[in-house]
Amino acid sequence: MRSMAHIGAALTAIFMLSPLVILVIFCFSESPLLAFPIEGWSLRWFDKAFSDPQFTNAFRNSMIVTGAVGVTSTLTGTLAALALAKLPPRLATATAAALSLPVMVPPLLLGVALLTFYSTWIGLPLGLPAVILSHLVFTQPLVMLMISARMASFDHAAVEAARDLGASPIQSFFHVTLPMIGPSITGGTLIAMALSLDDFLVTFFTIGGGMTLPTLMWGMLRKGIDPSVNVVAVTIMGLSIAATLIGFRLTRYRG
Amino acid sequence: MAPLVELVGVGKGYGSATAVHPLSLRIGEGEFVSILGPSGCGKTTLLRMIGGFVTPDEGSILIDGRDVTRKPPEKRATNMVFQGYGLFPHMTVAQNVAYGLRIARVARTERARRVAEALDLIRLADLGDRAVSALSGGQRQRVALARALVMRPRVLLLDEPLSALDLKLRLAMQEEFRRIHAQVGGTFIFVTHDQAEAMSLASRICVMEAGRIVQDGTPEDIYRRPASRFVAGFIGEANLFEGVGSDERVRLSCGTVIPGAGAEGPIVCVVRPEAVTLAADPAALPDQCDARLFATVEDVVFLGPEVRTTLRTDSGAQALALSRTAGPLRPGDRVTMGWATADQQVIAA
Repeated sequence: MRSMAHIGAALTAIFMLSPLVILVIFCFSESPLLAFPIEGWSLRWFDKAFSDPQFTNAFRNSMIVTGAVGVTSTLTGTLAALALAKLPPRLATATAAALSLPVMVPPLLLGVALLTFYSTWIGLPLGLPAVILSHLVFTQPLVMLMISARMASFDHAAVEAARDLGASPIQSFFHVTLPMIGPSITGGTLIAMALSLDDFLVTFFTIGGGMTLPTLMWGMLRKGIDPSVNVVAVTIMGLSIAATLIGFRLTRYRG
Repeated sequence: MAPLVELVGVGKGYGSATAVHPLSLRIGEGEFVSILGPSGCGKTTLLRMIGGFVTPDEGSILIDGRDVTRKPPEKRATNMVFQGYGLFPHMTVAQNVAYGLRIARVARTERARRVAEALDLIRLADLGDRAVSALSGGQRQRVALARALVMRPRVLLLDEPLSALDLKLRLAMQEEFRRIHAQVGGTFIFVTHDQAEAMSLASRICVMEAGRIVQDGTPEDIYRRPASRFVAGFIGEANLFEGVGSDERVRLSCGTVIPGAGAEGPIVCVVRPEAVTLAADPAALPDQCDARLFATVEDVVFLGPEVRTTLRTDSGAQALALSRTAGPLRPGDRVTMGWATADQQVIAA
């Protein structure tokens, strides 16, 4: 029975990972066709993608959006979670539900709604600032929810103990609260950044003329597939994995 | 001598519920006071007001003659051992203990010396570098104690510190607390719902009921002279016989009249089970048993050092007697319960 379970688990893992492996393999293929057998290896598609000004521009835009969304949603999400923890439980539940509504709206609707809101209501020009604001709508609640979940099992006596031992409210926050919820904050930031990095729908509606990596990929696919699309995809994947590894490294448990 | 901790008309309510009715309390230097009461009686609120975690609605709190009513915890000469310990999970044992000294900017060498001293006091000298998560419940308890004691507080507040431990560990820690109090001196205020714990630790017990201190005295005082039916029932086991008192005599509800000075009108006569002597033949009772009552034996349990006999009096009240020897009694036997009126306490019902 156990070996059956192991085989099942292995097959599932292979099924889930093989598309990613194939995606990476074709980046290094000589041929412009995405087909086996692979006749030769080359880095020409990397060269082609990275020397394309559209790619560098989209890469830069993605970095700006992801960075801004990561920092801002972490700040607002953390502050919201800390405020929720101080509310009476029933009010806190209602407030958290209200603040999390955007997560439950399908991204397509969110994109259309934001486009209408920006252009006809507040007259915000489309572009990167509009994209950043739009991403905050759905990343901020996620950060808040992740930190709230941590706060629910948080030992408030530890903070009181710090105060009791002479720490000011600010000191107890930085010495005790922050280190205790730190891993959740980092985790929330990374998820917010990953969501922002690969968001297509909301970005598509609110960016106007520019491009981020996902909208660039979409444009490239419309013109026909060649392995430089894979290179863009692998870049996005590499950035996500790197961010996650850095996050784990930063938040590893220091006993 | 001025008291170290003085509460003057301190009260606190939450919404429409009153947690602590305005009360006054004076605690002197070096006392080991236990605040004892059932859960929800306001004892933890009272302790948290002394520690600065709860601001009273009225009254004032003085520590060492200074009014600290509105001062936050970090500005008070008190340190607390929390019920859930509240250790810092991201720090080692030594870092936990050193935290208060670090905040107070005590020099590194002095800090190391005092941390070592505190760890020595709680007998965890070898575990300074351990992660808090690698400690057992009893060890965590000691670290929480060391972390507070290292500050050399004028007043150490303990909020049910032993409630999470099993019985054996609890008894061992009670002994530790007594030893540490004797060793470091200082004033300990200890909140508990466990009357045996309060009796064994404290030199003074304040019994709380529904937000009020209903009795304040030495453990012996409270055991022998309970001020109310609640205290008599809460501290140890007690026979509570209802009746009416007048002219130094008490007419119990079963009709028996016994000598008994104390309250007039409806009363409760409190008799501790170990003060009761049982005899099948009333003539066999010792002479000092001047109060007597007929009862029927319901159950006899041999417990080793003592024998527990449960009885029912003729008026239907349940009664209990503890004695060294079982005697020839069996369930169903008619007996006379006798006790010396000097051992009874007559209080207004």
